[in-house]
Amino acid sequence: MSLLPFFQWMESLPISHAIQSAAWYSPIIQVIHLVALATFAGAVVVVDLRLMGLGLNRRPLAQVARDAHPWLVGGLVVLLITGIPQVLSLAMKQYYSPFFWWKMEGLAVATIFTFTLRRKVTLTDERRLGPLWGKVVGLVSMTLWTGVTVGARLIGLLS
Amino acid sequence: MSLRTLFEAVATQPTSIAIRESIYGYPFLLTSHVVGMCLFAGLIAMMDLRLAGLGNLGTPCSEMQKRLFPWQIVGLIVSFATGLTLVYSDPMRFYGNFYFWLKNLMMLLALVNAVVFHLTTYTSVALWDSDPVPPSGARLAGVLSLALWAGIVITGRMIAYSGLVPNWWIGLKLT
Repeated sequence: MSLLPFFQWMESLPISHAIQSAAWYSPIIQVIHLVALATFAGAVVVVDLRLMGLGLNRRPLAQVARDAHPWLVGGLVVLLITGIPQVLSLAMKQYYSPFFWWKMEGLAVATIFTFTLRRKVTLTDERRLGPLWGKVVGLVSMTLWTGVTVGARLIGLLS
Repeated sequence: MSLRTLFEAVATQPTSIAIRESIYGYPFLLTSHVVGMCLFAGLIAMMDLRLAGLGNLGTPCSEMQKRLFPWQIVGLIVSFATGLTLVYSDPMRFYGNFYFWLKNLMMLLALVNAVVFHLTTYTSVALWDSDPVPPSGARLAGVLSLALWAGIVITGRMIAYSGLVPNWWIGLKLT
């Protein structure tokens, strides 16, 4: 099944036209998206660095992860809320951009990874975790989220 | 030499022209700038939330400062180098840009805020290091830094919207 009709439908919506025709809507949505990205990235990286033994090593892993969690979830929610209108307003551009699909597939994988495996590892007793798992999970997390960010930025630059 | 002549002179440099006219130069620089920003602004925000008493309360303030500092510097170097190269590659795009100068002003204020905090409130960190709510000087520095860095990220993005600026700025006829 092709998603083309769905993207055509999104672009035909009144809200899509409204966002495109008002000069301030797109920039306001984009700057909120970017501030949320920085917050989200901070909450991800502070835990990934701890996982890799390169950050807040004197604190228990589970505590660093619990402290960062509200900012990670909050950041992601704001990113999604401000991401949807950006897809709606330029649906056809997104559909034909390879970077859009790279970003969205990466986002799906990274989100599932973060809320299943990574969450489980960060809340596990560290003595049972061993020296290797934390490093692998932290590195995979950083790589996945960097990939999503790079893909996202390139939608607007190389499409 | 005026600032304008300097910017115009940079624009005629062969390396500036080469980056400006290359297809992948700008996308590469801007994407790296965003990744560097995530590392730098993200970790600055985590530290500021701790200072403001809003987050990461299980970690002492000094530990947030010391252990995240090397990575903040890595992010800063990436952001700064790519940002500087972006300006070098197309200086006249930035010379008359309202948001570019506003961003620079806020970076200066963020630096002043950080230096003042380190020379004043932070000298007594041993007394309040693990307090969930740090003293008012630390909370003020944290909130100011959060606001300034959010402003820096926002104005950075707004550089692309050079037309959405106050009328008095357009009246200056810089471009």
